Amino acid sequence: MSTDKNQHELPSSQSFKLTAISFVHAYRVNIIGLFMGVMFGFLMSRAGATTFDFHAKMFLFENLQLMQVIGTAVVVSMIGVFLLKKYQINSVTTGMPVDFVKKPYQQGLIAGAFLFGIGWGMTAACPGTVPAMLGEGKISAIFTLTGLLLGTMAFGVLQSFIANKGSITDTL
Amino acid sequence: MEVTIWAGWLGGLAIGLFVILHFWLLGKPAGCSTGYGNVCGFLCKNMRYYQEGEYEKRNNSKLWFLIGIPIGGLLSALSSPEPWHLSFDMGMYDSILPQSNAAKAVWLIFGGMLLGFGARLAGACTTGHALVGGAMLNPPSLLAGVVFFMSAFITTRLFFGT
Repeated sequence: MSTDKNQHELPSSQSFKLTAISFVHAYRVNIIGLFMGVMFGFLMSRAGATTFDFHAKMFLFENLQLMQVIGTAVVVSMIGVFLLKKYQINSVTTGMPVDFVKKPYQQGLIAGAFLFGIGWGMTAACPGTVPAMLGEGKISAIFTLTGLLLGTMAFGVLQSFIANKGSITDTL
Repeated sequence: MEVTIWAGWLGGLAIGLFVILHFWLLGKPAGCSTGYGNVCGFLCKNMRYYQEGEYEKRNNSKLWFLIGIPIGGLLSALSSPEPWHLSFDMGMYDSILPQSNAAKAVWLIFGGMLLGFGARLAGACTTGHALVGGAMLNPPSLLAGVVFFMSAFITTRLFFGT
């Protein structure tokens, strides 16, 4: 019996290699997501989106760094979206044409955007820059992040409450 | 914490290329705030909203994207001339925010709640609506982007009294 069992055993180096390959393949979407997140955080920081003063100075028209950043970024990515659509480029992970799914208009969009803007003015941060600030060692990000999670949770409570037709069971 | 800042056009170019790379690699638009819903789904197992629909599969690339962002911020801070250190300094905002640390924390939590709730009510944050939605010229995203900026503009102007 023991010889039978040994026949199926690979050398440990090869076994490790195969395990690593299957791991990377199985989790490739999450691994790419993590890598993209690292890149996003780095770029947000380098672009000045994690520096509080740039937010205030943009709205006071003293320094338009962030306006330049978002303006250039939108124009560059618009060209990219156009090219990806024109040449029907397939996505690496899905193997299918890129899904340019557009966020639909939803009820409360204007009210939500208005509340979001007040939060932006109060914290000089947005959901994408808060984690990057945390990595930079900004203590304020801990509190903003706590608030962000609480706000997201509050929305979930509200939606679950509505979906349950006003019953508070299964909302928390 | 002072980090190295690139010129506006260079930062914008890099973020624009990032958005394209995200489309190409993951086959869908980049977004940040939806990942917070995944975290809430993990925190509140009984909350229906973050267990269904787009949140049914919570351990997805959006969650890992969110986990990657602090690492990116850390790398950026470590590669800056100033050594990494913790700081509660908020620059210009220190003159308008409450002076005690506890009150400042409450202020930030409240602001963060408005960000979180507002982002979900509007469907996406600055990245999903203004940046990526703007690049796709999606009308609701453009509207949301304009309201984001208008509202933050008014708020900041009122705070700084100009």
